Amino acid sequence: MSIMEYNGGSVIAMVGKDCVAIASDLRLGNQALSISSNFQKVFPVTDRIYVGLPGLGTDVTTLRERFRYRINMYTIKEEREIEPETFAHLVSSTLYEHRFGPYFIEPVIAGLSKTPSGGVKPLIAAADLIGCLNFAKDFVVAGTASTKLLGVAEGLWEPDLEPEDLFETISQTLLNSVDRDAFSGWGAVVHVITKDSIISRTLKGRMD
Amino acid sequence: MDHFPTNWGRPRNDAYDAYGTHPIPQRPYNGHQDAFADAVQRTQQPIVTGTSVLAIKYKDGIMMAADNLASYGSLARFKDVQRLHPVGQYTVLGAGGDMSDFQYIQHMLEQLSIDEFTCQDGHNLGPAEIHEYMSHVMYARRSKMNPLWNSLIVGGYKDGKRFLSYVDLLGTTYSASTLATGYGAYIAQPLLRKAVEGREDVLTEEEARKIIEDSMRVLFYRDARSLNKFQIATVTSVGVNISESIQLDTSWSFAEGIRGYGAQTQ
Amino acid sequence: MPDMTSLAHPQQRSFNPYSENGGTILAIAGADFSVIAGDTRQSEGYSIQTRYAPKVFRLTDRAVLAVNGFAADGNMFVKKVKQRLEWYRHAHSKDMPLRAIARLIQTMLYARRFFPYYVYNILGGIEEDGTGAVYSFDPVGSYEREACRAAGAAQSLVQPFLDNQIYFKNQTPALGTSHPAHLPLPTVLSIVIDSFTSATERHIEVGDGLEMYVVLAKGRNLQGLEGVRGMQELTVTDDGERVFVVRRDLKKD
Repeated sequence: MSIMEYNGGSVIAMVGKDCVAIASDLRLGNQALSISSNFQKVFPVTDRIYVGLPGLGTDVTTLRERFRYRINMYTIKEEREIEPETFAHLVSSTLYEHRFGPYFIEPVIAGLSKTPSGGVKPLIAAADLIGCLNFAKDFVVAGTASTKLLGVAEGLWEPDLEPEDLFETISQTLLNSVDRDAFSGWGAVVHVITKDSIISRTLKGRMD
Repeated sequence: MDHFPTNWGRPRNDAYDAYGTHPIPQRPYNGHQDAFADAVQRTQQPIVTGTSVLAIKYKDGIMMAADNLASYGSLARFKDVQRLHPVGQYTVLGAGGDMSDFQYIQHMLEQLSIDEFTCQDGHNLGPAEIHEYMSHVMYARRSKMNPLWNSLIVGGYKDGKRFLSYVDLLGTTYSASTLATGYGAYIAQPLLRKAVEGREDVLTEEEARKIIEDSMRVLFYRDARSLNKFQIATVTSVGVNISESIQLDTSWSFAEGIRGYGAQTQ
Repeated sequence: MPDMTSLAHPQQRSFNPYSENGGTILAIAGADFSVIAGDTRQSEGYSIQTRYAPKVFRLTDRAVLAVNGFAADGNMFVKKVKQRLEWYRHAHSKDMPLRAIARLIQTMLYARRFFPYYVYNILGGIEEDGTGAVYSFDPVGSYEREACRAAGAAQSLVQPFLDNQIYFKNQTPALGTSHPAHLPLPTVLSIVIDSFTSATERHIEVGDGLEMYVVLAKGRNLQGLEGVRGMQELTVTDDGERVFVVRRDLKKD
């Protein structure tokens, strides 16, 4: 039995044109038995950053609270909001602190960072359970359906997608991947982060 | 003293069997077996072994090389063994792995050649036929859970066509313009591919020989079960030629400069 | 302290008669054609043994078989299937129908139930009624007819992509319209090529070369196949089904 597959669940993030998207399924299971169809694993960090925490359910809750605490401390001390890249390193070091007794979570980060000219730059990143960061230009995946997500995303994704097209691409990628994964599925949620808004939609998926 | 060569080169656990009395080398049991005599009895391991075989295609045919060492564990036991074997007029067979199994294969092919010759039907076995035959023998033996523990390369030249193919103890086969078995697959194969791929039709015999010799030298430096005495076989329109043993000049002066492991104090 | 009871007995390291040789295969059925494809890399562990070892084989003018898993078993299995088809030809003066080949393969696989061929088979071709068909098998002979199937090292990468692009899973047709039940040949070929370039990008055991076999039903025109680069006809008989192969390069890293 693998701890990473104990509760199931998957997350994916994609880059678009001046936007990013992050999506996850909503299943929480106890091995093959499904427990909940509304278990959130993607959380807002700031107005422009979301983090997805697929892996062991108990650690999802713990890490979410840990990150909330550390983000609040950062905001108070620095008197400004954290940038996505900084947050990625915060995630990494938090995980690496537990190098020899890790949280069983592989975080996915999606955000928009500010450029000096006042624009925004998309940033996505994923880490393994001990905090090895991967900043990708296209998409990152994690969770029990990661191989499926990788294959479908590689086939569907293209550069410079507008927010609505990015939404369709990430939704199709996620839904079709979790339908081939016994440990993921039972509905999905998608967030598309743009310069001036966040589109959050809950998707109806197969419930079997 | 651990008298069993299969244990040599491995960390020994003194917590048990401090005198290294087991495992006793497994030998195939050929006596009576009942219905319950399963894989365990037939399972064997190689005892006297040969290391890498290399082979490439070049302009005029194929070239193959193997050193003259047959090891007994980490002991360099026999240093004048020929691991390249001519079969008929068109084929060379190179073998790594268990040398007694290889000798058995040599006898088998000898008998096959005699039977074919006796037919006098106007057909001669070429490299493709030898390889097909060997792949069936190897696959049949693995399917009986009693493998011939070898990696074989079959090379040849017949009817204006070059032939180079591999078969091993599992019956796995493949062909390519460069082949290497054993440690050669890790160490020599990248060198061979870089030098040969795409140039199969222009490489001269001299160039091919240089590529093979350089690869054999690298193998001698890095493979602890190898020897700097080896033979090169060519098969061309002229026929099969297996060279006398070749000694390579090697330089070990660089070893003086190595730091970081071994018995140095600084 | 090591576990003394387990150390006290000589450990047996029994011979393992199997290996895994990587690669991926895939087949898609159209209305009156079938596409069967596979990459040509053969590997063991991290070593590439060869960049060209075919995994897809023409059996008859209307049947093509793709094999994936342990290469030695695969090659031997194809050899035995071909032998049985030749015997059938000699006995009945015709090629065996596709559904009969499928049942033959199931019987041959199950015959080795307790020492299986470690091979995933996908059979593609044209049925007697002229429709394109794909049959997929597990190593011990369970099989079913499908419209598309991926198998092998990158199965998990490719199959959900096919669900989406072939079966239109999770896609709702616009009001008053419906999804096509079968796709045209050029579309199918594009999807196959995309699947393999994707798999090559993300899976180390996939790459080097791609072979796509196309089987066309009796009396059909080439449906755009005539313009395809690297196409070669392999048909043996006249006025029956026709077989083609299309070869492409894949990345070699």
